[in-house]
Amino acid sequence: MLRASAVVERCGIPSVSIISTGFLKQASVIAKGLGLPDMAIAEFPGVPMTQSKEELRRQVVELLLPRIIAGLSKPLRLTAPVAEAPIPAPRDIVFSGTLDQVNDYFHEQNWSDGMPVVPPTLDRVEKFLRFTERDPNEVIGVCPPANREATVWNVAVNGVMAGCRPEYMPILLAVTEVICTPEYKVEDAGSTPGWESLITLSGPIVKELGFNAGQGVMRVGRQPNTSIGRFLRMFIRNVAGFTHGPEGADKGSIGQSFLVVLAENEDAIAELGWQPYSVDRGFNAGDNVVTVQSVVAISAPAYSQSERAEEHAALLADVIGERACGYWTAIGMCYANWHPLIILGPSIAKVFAQEGWSKRDICQYFYEHVKIKASRAEYYAYSAGLTGFRIANAVKEGLLPKAFHLSDDPDRLVPVFQRPEWMSIVVAGDAGRNQSRGYVCNHVQGVPTSRKVVLPQNWKSLLAK
Amino acid sequence: MSDRTTPAETAYDVVWPLGKPAYATRAPVDRVADLSNKVIGETWDYLFRGEEWFPILREELGKRYPGIRFVTYDTFGNLHGPNQRELVARVPALLKEHKVDAVISAIGA
Repeated sequence: MLRASAVVERCGIPSVSIISTGFLKQASVIAKGLGLPDMAIAEFPGVPMTQSKEELRRQVVELLLPRIIAGLSKPLRLTAPVAEAPIPAPRDIVFSGTLDQVNDYFHEQNWSDGMPVVPPTLDRVEKFLRFTERDPNEVIGVCPPANREATVWNVAVNGVMAGCRPEYMPILLAVTEVICTPEYKVEDAGSTPGWESLITLSGPIVKELGFNAGQGVMRVGRQPNTSIGRFLRMFIRNVAGFTHGPEGADKGSIGQSFLVVLAENEDAIAELGWQPYSVDRGFNAGDNVVTVQSVVAISAPAYSQSERAEEHAALLADVIGERACGYWTAIGMCYANWHPLIILGPSIAKVFAQEGWSKRDICQYFYEHVKIKASRAEYYAYSAGLTGFRIANAVKEGLLPKAFHLSDDPDRLVPVFQRPEWMSIVVAGDAGRNQSRGYVCNHVQGVPTSRKVVLPQNWKSLLAK
Repeated sequence: MSDRTTPAETAYDVVWPLGKPAYATRAPVDRVADLSNKVIGETWDYLFRGEEWFPILREELGKRYPGIRFVTYDTFGNLHGPNQRELVARVPALLKEHKVDAVISAIGA
């Protein structure tokens, strides 16, 4: 809400922002990135969601109210201008030392993720830049909340640090383009659910660069899957400003670690006669495409067995739909936007395809068969802090489909999946087993966003070197 | 921190991994010395029980500042909800329309 306060201040009107205690550090980073480091803050003491009505009232009257009055009517104490270190130019050497010394320095500066980094020397960065025809100084976008520029140059620097190979550079650039688009809302990548960005990669580049699309696809281990996943988290830390808690701006309450790249098994897709995920995302078959989306939770491994498609659908709807997505759907409803993703094992996909099911048919099945009581969804939403949400109001405002309010019965069943077309299915994983898995998205924060990977003209010859 | 360096190790000259800040810093606007007879706007993200404590704030501010009036949060809508971009974009016009003197913005970060 500091962003709303900044809009108010730009109109020449004073504002005070109520910030609960646990968000104060995050607030200071956001305020600085908004160019208003001295915004008036009124601290809401403690955790409002665990206070009794009496305690809440007491806190508001005795502590919050005086802070609000002071924030609106007393002159603010302005931060004395501090002589900040000059901004280094891209080629400036900011430190010299051994591998350990470089790593210690980067940790001290909060420029690392806690694991050793590859020292970003000029030579190493230059090798990455050979794999793009873009100007190293090109500004790809600005990454809130720290509001720092994402450039071709610092993409390469962070790629080096994360252990990527130079030939991954076109993928790193495409991923960075995604997180710089306003729709992705990278500014909320530090929200309390602690979501992570998942990169799905489709196209011939999967095989060309040796990604793992098979057994153990989501495990750390294979270099391209792992280092590109690590790059994205590192870039979000260093450029968007989400250094880790409890001191940093990342407010993920428990959080999770970075996700490796999900590479699509296009051979399996071709055998089934299904279209690749890139086509589902509006591109042409054969295009190299990255799709980035948030993941807030992962289902249990869903083992389904049968030679009949519907039995698989029923099991997956139960384990992935009801059990994994059934809780977080409430938050998706609040934002009228929600895009769960299913990784379908190749053997399971084959059973569906043999009976003529398309990916769209599976999504439709989920939409029609997975339901939750409206009262339960509202309770989940309230408990998460979305205390102003009512399903009936959302339907009235046209945010949710009419199917969510066909009666006033609080225990009426409503769909867990808001729209079948908002679900995604990617075929990957162990071809020798009957397992699938669900990845739960975090509503408007990190909506699936795709970009084509642009290769340099001399891609083949560069790879051959 | 213990020194892990061993003799004859290579030294690395490294570059900066961050990006140039893309903002200009400014000071907040002047405060309102007396809230009496002023119009207070409420902007809210519909989170963390604001529906309970905004009424308490109105009641208590009303006791202290005669003539204070409120443009309640429902006028601005859920500024963190599905239509946040559109709703935040219309905030300046609503502030002007309702002649708002100061704003309480809540809650979170």
